[in-house]
Amino acid sequence: MVNGYTAATLEEALNIRAEHEVVPYAGGTDLMVENRPGVTYLFLNKISELKRISVDEKYVRIGSGATFTQALEDNRVPQLMKDAVALIAAPAIRNAGTFGGNLGNGSAKADSVLIEFVADAKLRLVSLRGERIVDVDRFYLGRKKLDLRDDELIAEILLPKTGLEQYDYQKVGGRNALAISRVSFAGVFSTQDGKITNIATAFGAVADTVLRFKDLEDTLLGKTPEEAKALKAQYLKSYADRMVLTRGRVSAEYRKTVCMNLLSEFLTRFGI
Amino acid sequence: MEKISQSVVKKDHEPKMSGRSVYVGDYPGDGVLTGKLLRSTLARARVLDVELPVLPEGYFYVDKSDVPGDNNVNIVLDDTPVFARDTVEYIGEPIGMVAGPDVAVVNRILSEIKVSYEELEPVLDLRKADTVFFNYEYEKGDLKKALAEADKVYEEEFTTGYQDQTYLEPQGMMAEPEKNGHMYVHGSMQCAYYVHGAVMRVLGCRPDEVHIFQDVTGGGFGGKEDFPSILGCQVAVAAKKANAPVRCVFGRREDLEFTPKRHPSLCTYKVAVKDGKVTAMDIDVKFNGGAYTTLSAVVLQRGIICANGVYRIENLHVHGQALKTNTTPSGAYRGFGAPQTFFAVEMMMDHIARDLGVDSLKFKEAHLARQGDATSTSGKYHFPVPLPEMIEEVDRAADFRRKHLEYQKPQTGRYHKGIGMSLWFHGAGFTGSGERDFIKAVCKLHKFPDGTVEILASNGEIGQGLRTTFPKIVAHELNLPLDKVYYNHPDTARVPDSGPTVASRSLMIVGELLRRAAIKLRSQWKDGEDQVVEEHFKEPDFMIPFYLDKFQGDAYPTYAWGVGAIEVEIDTCTGTSKILGAYGSFDVGTPIDYNIVIGQMEGGFLQGIGYASIEQMNYDGRGRIRNNSFSDYLIPTTKDVPNLKCMLHVEKYPDGPYGAKGAGELPLVGAPGAYVEAVEQALGHGAKLNHAPFTAEDTLNEIRKEGK
Repeated sequence: MVNGYTAATLEEALNIRAEHEVVPYAGGTDLMVENRPGVTYLFLNKISELKRISVDEKYVRIGSGATFTQALEDNRVPQLMKDAVALIAAPAIRNAGTFGGNLGNGSAKADSVLIEFVADAKLRLVSLRGERIVDVDRFYLGRKKLDLRDDELIAEILLPKTGLEQYDYQKVGGRNALAISRVSFAGVFSTQDGKITNIATAFGAVADTVLRFKDLEDTLLGKTPEEAKALKAQYLKSYADRMVLTRGRVSAEYRKTVCMNLLSEFLTRFGI
Repeated sequence: MEKISQSVVKKDHEPKMSGRSVYVGDYPGDGVLTGKLLRSTLARARVLDVELPVLPEGYFYVDKSDVPGDNNVNIVLDDTPVFARDTVEYIGEPIGMVAGPDVAVVNRILSEIKVSYEELEPVLDLRKADTVFFNYEYEKGDLKKALAEADKVYEEEFTTGYQDQTYLEPQGMMAEPEKNGHMYVHGSMQCAYYVHGAVMRVLGCRPDEVHIFQDVTGGGFGGKEDFPSILGCQVAVAAKKANAPVRCVFGRREDLEFTPKRHPSLCTYKVAVKDGKVTAMDIDVKFNGGAYTTLSAVVLQRGIICANGVYRIENLHVHGQALKTNTTPSGAYRGFGAPQTFFAVEMMMDHIARDLGVDSLKFKEAHLARQGDATSTSGKYHFPVPLPEMIEEVDRAADFRRKHLEYQKPQTGRYHKGIGMSLWFHGAGFTGSGERDFIKAVCKLHKFPDGTVEILASNGEIGQGLRTTFPKIVAHELNLPLDKVYYNHPDTARVPDSGPTVASRSLMIVGELLRRAAIKLRSQWKDGEDQVVEEHFKEPDFMIPFYLDKFQGDAYPTYAWGVGAIEVEIDTCTGTSKILGAYGSFDVGTPIDYNIVIGQMEGGFLQGIGYASIEQMNYDGRGRIRNNSFSDYLIPTTKDVPNLKCMLHVEKYPDGPYGAKGAGELPLVGAPGAYVEAVEQALGHGAKLNHAPFTAEDTLNEIRKEGK
């Protein structure tokens, strides 16, 4: 028997969240399968204000209750994000699965979260006490470890509107559909006046959380791709040293080789 | 297309698609106890003590001491215990069963049972296994001479892994004591009479005191050939003790971990070549049988009989062994030992051809067996071997020869292409004289006064369409509309033993019996009367008697043939391969229903591609299978082979109904040879691949080796 509360508005949901010990339930594509005994759910799927996708001057704002299918059909959502969510599971799961749920599940294999990492996305978290905006990498701390307080809900993902045009996304799963990522890679790149202004690369499914090393990225900023190319070997070596992979069903050695190959390909693609 | 081949709506289509079909898990649970197995946590140990918690009223624990008859499940031999004897021989071996009305309480009891073991050293490595379950050997020609006179002798080792059947419905059985003291056992199965024989013996009762019914079954693929006998005995023992119905339906993890899978194999080929042609093969085959013998004898027989592939090899020596390891007993899976040896022989032929500098297809074509040639066991290919025509069909569909030449050239860039082709057969029906000596199939037709006809036979509908194709045959002979002839799931209390649903035999053997029965009924037909006709198996006259002790004679009356080509593109960054196309030509004789047969060919070919590529399952150093879920054990979806083209080539078999022969297993058998040859070609650099599945990780390792 499923135990839970269904909220019609965000305010109602926040009240329940503050008063009871509940597990927020968005699309349910993971929780339904888990079917944990003795859990009380807070069903969020009837809250229309969480399902919106909107745009302001700086951000594409994706409601935590928006489904992957919704994002795929929305021309304001950056193509990089669409590329990633288009490969999640299968149509039925994409119809139900949500951006908030993908985050809330706290897995380094979450395909939309990888994009949020390379995009420097922010999250809007709300509670009866108010709201706070956090960077995704400050929120997403480790396996099932989120900076989400007991009375808070994820309300929106704020994805930068610009800067994601030049990108690479690669998902390595065990098959072409209904596959959990074994390695996923996303990178974005921009230059101004011939100099690198942004280079962000992140790896999913290989460690407890998404891996991104901003300090290494910084060493290429302000350089021309030509200049960066001279540093490529050292750059790759630094990554190789830093990438400590968790063990999985597929060997860490294989996954690391794939990561390094994909990073190298990404750099080559942008003239590095 | 012949009239009999024209597709109809399957008789079980509507109830299955609408969800109205009743599977064993669907019966109402009122008064039914749920049984759950207490399983060994060690691969090999002496069981010293099983300490039970206090059982609430209405809850039962059963083990070997509760077995009224013999604590051995009759399969081929009788070494598989119903519940563990003094030792456990693999992780997951059932020690006992807890049964009771509330599954949560059953689970709690199970978690509170304390088993003390004295741990023993398990044997897990096939190479180190020294308990030989079965040991077969046969020879023809003069191997020694051929080896001595050879220009070159090639030797290579090939290995293959597990493959799980992954039927949609996991294993499940239910036993119900009847008021007259009889036991009624039903569930998901392929072979009602196998279960009947096993349960009878375990309960120590007469044949009429037990009856078995096949419930609607959500797929088998061989996985429900032997295992329902074991689970059927376990629930029957529990039901007997509780004197109440007991049902045990496995979860997916339990099913993946503890039910039979395809035998892992290790084959060594020593091949003599003289003047550019193979003159001899010396083949050693080892199958990992797991902890008990179950079906290993017959799986190994089929495996070694086709160890020389579709080729005419004058001098041949084959040695096969099924060995014991302390792992889940291996069992039947579509192809039954043949996919392992066909993979090995196809790769061997590719590698020799490459070394000789000739095209692998040309090399294979130069060795093809033809009608009238001797088989490996000195039987005869009595009927035409249509491989040359089928190769042309596949070549046309896949543009094989051109691509095979083109991809031979060095490739640059991230993505590399390759194409491979494999040739194979499936011996139709039971191996050797099994049909004549053991099965002795009987079937009946019951005509009711209103003119409807019921087919009485014991073969199970497992998705292969028997509930449709059997009636099609009978309706055709009787000139009746299809809705006047029906075939229900078998209940051993009502139907004769027409044999098990295995070996791609049902349609060819039983279908032909039904055709003959229908002709008999037609000649005796009296309107308004209740009539029954019966038909018995008779071996075709042309058969050369098969002697199992010498492996000599016709192992099969006829063969279904397959040619498959697979084209891949590998990503050198990730090792993953994209299948650009899979093309198969299959000769299963006359299709009794075109859609059903094409469905079988597509599904089987895809399963074979999964076996070759992504279906990886292994046990760890303790003997435990770790990837026991559908997120870790992946099977291909249609998205993995969107371009899948299956064609039928019809070479009629005169002793099968309207020319039909065995179909079910054929399409899977040769797929690995085609896939791995394709990956090998894409890798280039003289890569010599010798194992399946060949995964993305293997591909990347191979690329790394090249880089060094």
